[in-house]
Amino acid sequence: MKFLGYILRNARRNPVRSLLTIGSIAVCGFLAMVLLSLFSTNTEVRSTLVPFNRVITMSAQGFTQPVPIALVREIPAIDDRSGIHAIVHRESDDKPLVSPFSWYGGKFRGESATFFAQFGVDPDTLFDIYPELTIAPDQLQAFKERPDGTVIGRKLAEDKKLSVGDSFELKGEIYPFDMNLTVVGIFDGPEKRDLRTCYFNWNFLNEGLKRDFQGQGANNSGTVLMRCKSDELVTKLCAAVDEDTKSSDRATKTQTEDAFVSQFSEMIKDLQTYINMVGLAVAFSLLVICGVAMAMSMRERTSEVAVLRAIGFQKGQILFMVLTEAVLIAGIGGFIGTFGTMLLFKFWDISPYTMGFFPFFYIPTTVAVTGFLVSLLVGLLSGLIPAFRASSLPVIDGLRKVV
Amino acid sequence: MDREAAIVLRHVTKSYRRDQIQIPVLSDLSLSVEEGEFLALMGPSGSGKTTLLNLIAGLDRPTGGEILVQDNDLARMSDGQITKWRSNHVGFIFQTYNLIPVLRAQENVELPLLLTSLSRKERRERARTALRVVGLEGREDHFPRQLSGGQEQRVAIARAIVTDPYLLVADEPTGDLDRVSAEEILLLLEQLNHEFEKTIVMVTHDPQAAKRATRLLHLDKGKLVADVAQGRDVRTAVQPENAS
Repeated sequence: MKFLGYILRNARRNPVRSLLTIGSIAVCGFLAMVLLSLFSTNTEVRSTLVPFNRVITMSAQGFTQPVPIALVREIPAIDDRSGIHAIVHRESDDKPLVSPFSWYGGKFRGESATFFAQFGVDPDTLFDIYPELTIAPDQLQAFKERPDGTVIGRKLAEDKKLSVGDSFELKGEIYPFDMNLTVVGIFDGPEKRDLRTCYFNWNFLNEGLKRDFQGQGANNSGTVLMRCKSDELVTKLCAAVDEDTKSSDRATKTQTEDAFVSQFSEMIKDLQTYINMVGLAVAFSLLVICGVAMAMSMRERTSEVAVLRAIGFQKGQILFMVLTEAVLIAGIGGFIGTFGTMLLFKFWDISPYTMGFFPFFYIPTTVAVTGFLVSLLVGLLSGLIPAFRASSLPVIDGLRKVV
Repeated sequence: MDREAAIVLRHVTKSYRRDQIQIPVLSDLSLSVEEGEFLALMGPSGSGKTTLLNLIAGLDRPTGGEILVQDNDLARMSDGQITKWRSNHVGFIFQTYNLIPVLRAQENVELPLLLTSLSRKERRERARTALRVVGLEGREDHFPRQLSGGQEQRVAIARAIVTDPYLLVADEPTGDLDRVSAEEILLLLEQLNHEFEKTIVMVTHDPQAAKRATRLLHLDKGKLVADVAQGRDVRTAVQPENAS
């Protein structure tokens, strides 16, 4: 601590260079945080889904192929028949918490591109399957009663300036008919949930197919969503359902919600590798920036270091002071770049600008802390060579630079 | 005579190696400096006076021979030991002052005290006392750039004496100063020698500065060519190798 004053003064010796170094590190930190959070956000959000023990059944051919709506009834029967009893039943009426889950993919009110998700579901069970989503009881009741009713997430309502009672028109892109819905409820949910989703009654979609598309594609669902009692039972249920359907033309693949979501991450795994490589390149750039700044700084101070050595400072003390200075500068830049970025995205919702790719975006604390520690390590490494050279320089050689 | 001598050099040689060439700087130099002496080293450039100063101050090591300062054999000390010894026993005064530009006068003077176990308050008090001794009371908060050359050198002297060292080494302390400032610095060194009984070894090119010393050594080509004390040639009288 005795040397801290001297170290701080040295760090401020050349304010322009120090600020530029700190700024460079902060910008690199910002870039690294954004890139690394693209995937870690997904990983972290997936982990929050695990405790709900939700299971998704999709076609064995892939999630673009539908499954028969009959599975919504049959899966609970399989669960009972096989004696697993994994699916949660509602206490009030013993209804199994199972729902169809069909992607509609329409365009909202003439938009050239719409980036929020739209799903046809069972209004009666949806909010029991998603207990983390909250909605006013009267709005939930309206959702259950009104065939053309839709409930939308709070952020979607804010983005589109919608409130209960407003019309909600979706122009069919995949399906050859439009959906003229009415907002009957607005739901809320945890911070790390997509609150830009719209749910409507699967029956309304099915009726539309029957009416306007000669029944083609009717009585199908994209996937079937259900909630189970425990993760141990989940494994058994998945195996039982897939075993039951495997010999039919509607073979299924049943998996946890977490595993289902991770499929999308797998699809961009190569991209993740490239982004991690960019992250490494950023770290290396930081190392060079800090190293050059420290080398320049120490070169200017050769004679001063020699004076310190002459008046009795040990090599280790010089090494400590130079390294502390390097770590301090890199740490300040790293702190701004990591925790500053974290704070920025805490208050700035960039989702509306990401074309739906990131329904929410934030910097996970683990990523920020890791980034900050990396900046400290970079500071330490960048200071090693200048510090070692400064502490090892023979005193008389150092003094000769000036004397 | 060794017991009374502060510094004893016996058959000291020093040479540097540049590429494959061995360059002799000092050859077979023997010398004894008594406690409380004010010694001036003169000689042409390349005569070895700064090298001799560096050897006495423990900044460099001899190629051969023995250097005893207060009975400490400097050549036998490890790097860590000699660094610690310097911090306790030697004060340095440089031609270009070599103050730390980002530190105030008081902080520059405090710098050697950071290596001691003194409290922050004690360090401040000692630094203020040292600045008072060199006549810079009231300039404690000035940065080096806010001081004149003479004042900077005074701060450097305060830094040199703040640990109350046994030996002061000065390498052309007036070399960068005007006549008036140089005179002030020399008076200060004289005062430190007379009143505080500091042993001082000073390298200088200035004959006027050299006159202020109690003893004058002339070096040429690494050899001692004259040894004058208070106008008296004592070279023949000083024979440290025969003293014990």
